[in-house]
Amino acid sequence: MAQLFLNGLVTGLLLALPALALTLVFGILKFANFAVGALLTFGAYAGFVANVQFGWPLPLAAAFAALCVALASIIADALVFERLRERGSITLLVASMGVSLVVENICRFFFGNAARSFDVTLARPIRWQGVRINHEQIVTASVVIVALILVHLLLTASPLGRAMRAVADNPSLAAVRGVERRTVARIAWALTGALLGIAGVLAGLDRAIDPLMGWNYQIPIFAAAILGGLGSPLGAVAGALMIGLAEEMSALILPTNYRQVVSFCVILLLLLFRTNGLFGAKAVRK
Amino acid sequence: MSAYLVTLVILVSVAALVGLALNLQWGLAGLVNFGVSGFVALGAYGVAITAPHIGWLPAMIFSALLCAAISMALALLSIRLEENYLAIVTIGFGEIVRILLLNEGWLTGGALGIADIPRPFAAITPPGGGDGVILAFAIALVALVFVLLELLVRSPFGRVLRAVRDDATVASALGKPVLALRVRAFAVGGAVMGLAGALHAFYLTYIDPSQFTPIITAYAFMAVIAGGRGSNLGLLLGAGSIMALLEATRFLKDLVPSIDGAQLSALRLGMIGIGIVLLLILRPQGLVAEPRRRATEFFPNAKGEG
Amino acid sequence: MIENRETDALRVQGLRAGYGRGGDIVCGIDFAQRAESIIAVIGPNGSGKSSFIKTIAGLLPARAGSISVTGSDVTALSPARRVFAGLAYVPQEANVFRSLTIRENLKLATEFLRGRPGIGREQEERVLSLFPEIAARPRTLAGNLSGGQRQMLAFACALLANPEVLLLDEPSAGLSPKIVSQTMEAITRVRESGVTILLVEQNVSAALKIADEVVVLVAGRLSLRAPAKDVKPHDLASLFFGKAA
Ligand SMILES: Nc1ncnc2c1ncn2[C@@H]1O[C@H](COP(=O)(O)OP(=O)(O)OP(=O)(O)O)[C@@H](O)[C@H]1O
Ligand SMILES: [Mg+2]
Repeated sequence: MAQLFLNGLVTGLLLALPALALTLVFGILKFANFAVGALLTFGAYAGFVANVQFGWPLPLAAAFAALCVALASIIADALVFERLRERGSITLLVASMGVSLVVENICRFFFGNAARSFDVTLARPIRWQGVRINHEQIVTASVVIVALILVHLLLTASPLGRAMRAVADNPSLAAVRGVERRTVARIAWALTGALLGIAGVLAGLDRAIDPLMGWNYQIPIFAAAILGGLGSPLGAVAGALMIGLAEEMSALILPTNYRQVVSFCVILLLLLFRTNGLFGAKAVRK
Repeated sequence: MSAYLVTLVILVSVAALVGLALNLQWGLAGLVNFGVSGFVALGAYGVAITAPHIGWLPAMIFSALLCAAISMALALLSIRLEENYLAIVTIGFGEIVRILLLNEGWLTGGALGIADIPRPFAAITPPGGGDGVILAFAIALVALVFVLLELLVRSPFGRVLRAVRDDATVASALGKPVLALRVRAFAVGGAVMGLAGALHAFYLTYIDPSQFTPIITAYAFMAVIAGGRGSNLGLLLGAGSIMALLEATRFLKDLVPSIDGAQLSALRLGMIGIGIVLLLILRPQGLVAEPRRRATEFFPNAKGEG
Repeated sequence: MIENRETDALRVQGLRAGYGRGGDIVCGIDFAQRAESIIAVIGPNGSGKSSFIKTIAGLLPARAGSISVTGSDVTALSPARRVFAGLAYVPQEANVFRSLTIRENLKLATEFLRGRPGIGREQEERVLSLFPEIAARPRTLAGNLSGGQRQMLAFACALLANPEVLLLDEPSAGLSPKIVSQTMEAITRVRESGVTILLVEQNVSAALKIADEVVVLVAGRLSLRAPAKDVKPHDLASLFFGKAA
């Protein structure tokens, strides 16, 4: 039980970064970015290239991955999303699906369908009060927590964070206060890209790297973000923890193949009963 | 060669049905469905499981109704919310169907799938003439669905949907009845996707989960975008040309021998992605533009601007 | 007007604008405003007053025509760049960031205007002394303020940018009579500090008291321009309804 709880927390922390990425873009640009999964995959491969092909240590590889995905996100924004911004969220949704296909298949083209993994030596898990703790779990938890604290500080205590929240709140008012939406959107893309890159490397530590790995996370990510109220960063993190716990705890009653079903059921229940997310941010009704 | 041609025609027919369905849901009613592959799979498994017991026609009807019911439920859950929620629910649905198909082996055969699905008119088909019959069946099915959908689009039902899609003010003014209309359109679209899955199953007589990847969804969106949202004729052209283009990429392998199978499929899929994005940016009205109508034509009582 | 174009704080020529693919809502407006004057724009509901002022602020793209502020052409600039050029705007609705605190709202008002002359401590103190009520509660969420308080916060934020030209869309909407007169007083004081003010107002009598001139906007066109002292509220009724319907 305690073991499942711990696993759930770590799974949740791993989900927290992409869920945060999803919710940040949603807040500022008002569309659900379906490319999160593919960008996460891309991050894992970028980390793989740095770690295995360049022989860099993992932390450096993660930084490289963050940089690559941030760049990819900025490029996607400049080439695609920026041009479609005025055309409403349905168009952006579909476009993000197209971007997702492109990114995923760039990975497939260069690396094939075979599963890969990082070049790390497996250390023996630590045992503590009957609970087994992997080194990867410790790494994941500490990296994510540091990243979350940094993002939190950025959002609440810096001019840039204020600008991002202002644009999310009321884009036209932000514009007449001298905040360029374009610039803020670009920076938000870069930030979410970096988060997804790091998440990709962590996910690659957790499971094998293959072109479809992002799909395993897509539904839990969305479930977490909706649970937290789309657009609310704190909510996304809390939602991610709860989804992580729910998925691991479900192992008590369900085969592990059904973890995604748990997330999906959470989404359905939320839509049925509480459309605002558990943490109060408004789900936008028509 | 002729076998290849039959395959191609059936592929195009399935794609056309899926495209027509999505065109109704997204093109006409403005409801995004990212779970297309899930509905097609459901339709295919529906007939695969029931046809041996109840015959092909009842099985097809069963599949269509099943898909319609599930579409309706998903739409009802999220239609009052923003577009984003329906998109999320449907994409989740697609994944869940895939997981269930893989894991509920007692019903679906798991990864092995289901074989020996009886084809329509199997009893009266002369031995060796099977392809001709299924070919005629496919074409007839597409024609039937096309005509029915065209009638639907031209009926007051379709015109209201179109008007609503183009004019948010009218939509909000009309409120509830419009939501009901859109849910119905979504359900009809789901049913047609089920039929497409059924055709797929009948043709191959063997199905497994790997045949129903999200790629089907991507093709369908590409077809609708290329054909011009809302235009059924444009859609047929779109679906046809996309399938032809995709088939053409098979020959790429002969031109560039160094490319392997995974790379080839990556190229094809990547191209679909690029195609979707480019068409959205460059030709938002699609290759065949839909005649624009104003909401006020249909609501003479509602005041329009100007 | 034409001869002293150098001293015009705001000039608009042949301005046309509209939403999406719809028809023009602003249908060819020519307009010039002397520096340090107050002009009130009045007109029936839906006549395009807010759209006109939004087009000047840059939120609604101009389809034709030009806009210049203190002699420099701003037509091609984004709304954010127009703030640098000296234009500030207080919208009719959603005029503060509701999910941010008062302090954050005020900070944002100048944070991204570095390099614009006349903003800083001094301006801040001057502006906040106009609105002591706002300054006293920095940690309150702007969304929890009353309509009138929000209006003041929005007004303060716009002033912090030390604008040359201030665009106000119905500053008195939803305010009690006492606050209306306070707001109007604040507006005249702002003008005395050298700001040019274009004011959309439904409260015609309040507007007439402080404005130098009045322009009437009907169906996207200017139908009258007159010194405020020559205009009687009841004259306007015929103008509104004579042409509007
Ligand atoms: N965002 C928008 N999209 C489409 N049309 C709009 C939009 N905003 C306003 N309009 C239309 O533009 C016209 C003018 O509206 P506007 O808000 O400029 O009027 P107004 O004179 O400010 O009215 P009021 O006195 O009620 O504030 C109206 O017909 C309105 O329907
Ligand atoms: Mg107005």
